Amino acid sequence: MTSKINADIKSLKFIFDRNKPYILPAIIILISIILFLQFVIPQFKILLTARSEAKQASLKLQTLKENLNVITNIDEKSLDAQLRILNLALPLSKDFSGILNSIYLASQKTGVNLGSFSLQIGDLSDPKKKDDFPTITLAVPINANAAAVSSFVETISKTVPLSEVILIKIRDINSTIKLSFYYKPLGFTSYKEDAHINPLTQKGLSLINKLSGFENVSPFQKAPAASSSGF
Amino acid sequence: MNTNINLLLHTNEESLRRLKRVKKLNFIAVMFLVGVGCLSLLTFLSTQIINPSGIKREQNGVIEKISQFQDRQAKLFVLNNRINNIEKILEKRIDLPKALNALLAKTPGRLFIEDLEVDDKTVIMTAKSTSLLAIGELINNLTDMVRKKEIIRSLTLSTLVFDEAKNFYQVSIKADL
Repeated sequence: MTSKINADIKSLKFIFDRNKPYILPAIIILISIILFLQFVIPQFKILLTARSEAKQASLKLQTLKENLNVITNIDEKSLDAQLRILNLALPLSKDFSGILNSIYLASQKTGVNLGSFSLQIGDLSDPKKKDDFPTITLAVPINANAAAVSSFVETISKTVPLSEVILIKIRDINSTIKLSFYYKPLGFTSYKEDAHINPLTQKGLSLINKLSGFENVSPFQKAPAASSSGF
Repeated sequence: MNTNINLLLHTNEESLRRLKRVKKLNFIAVMFLVGVGCLSLLTFLSTQIINPSGIKREQNGVIEKISQFQDRQAKLFVLNNRINNIEKILEKRIDLPKALNALLAKTPGRLFIEDLEVDDKTVIMTAKSTSLLAIGELINNLTDMVRKKEIIRSLTLSTLVFDEAKNFYQVSIKADL
């Protein structure tokens, strides 16, 4: 059985008239909700993004200002002198003259006679090595007794370029020592303009002062006193 | 006839209630609109206030200034790189000269070192002397070093022979660093 609803115009008009005052506020509320969803929420998201961007930009600006401060306060002359010492201690490439010079100086200082030695040059065209610290290894024959050899290795370990004694063989007065001289290319670096530039630390200054006392550092290459670094 | 029936009064009460309801609804609608408007305005103004373009302009100014000192920046970068690497080398490199010095200091003067080999792991020494006391002193000294964990960790006496023809004792030892 089907029932029909008879809504004639008069009835509809009556309902409309009866609810007429509610229609406008209901429409306003609906529009407000739509406005809130369509405009306020996206605007709020934009505000959050802008806030985060501003925070990052502010941090970057702070770092840049600090970098500028560090750079402008450096005494360039002392920086050059310090860099020369450090590059002598750890060359950027294979420094054969530095190596020969250091062996010669150590032998002169300790008064030992060196035999003929050869350098293990390696591949000059490929500076990239898997090792953290590539080295040049050489065996140095020394015509001296144990005491003189000890003195020689002690001296060479305090000579630049930095080296490591990896083997000492003493047989009467025919001794041999095996040395590895370090070098380290700069390698690839990902430069970032907002990367923090670290000023020279006290530890770094102490290291430079220590190295400036090593053999094979020419007098004109001595580092200026720690306090005159300009930082 | 009942005179208490007053239909007009009922109608007025209901219309009053409806009026109140409409007023309330109107108020809510206005508050909604004003609220949304205020929120929108506040968000817009906040976005304008914290606009990072000003900071970015300042950044560009500082970057421009820094670019004038690029040379110094590069030098400082290399300087820090060298310092870090040298520190690592000095930390990791094995101090064989120190080990050799210590061993020689513990070797008695009456003992002649025939053969000595020191690398990063072991020390092999062959020495000779006419006196067994000198050999005993060497072994005692090295044993002390092992006990004190001074440079050498373990000691092995490989051989001890007496050469009757030449009248000397020969000792061979092996120590682990």
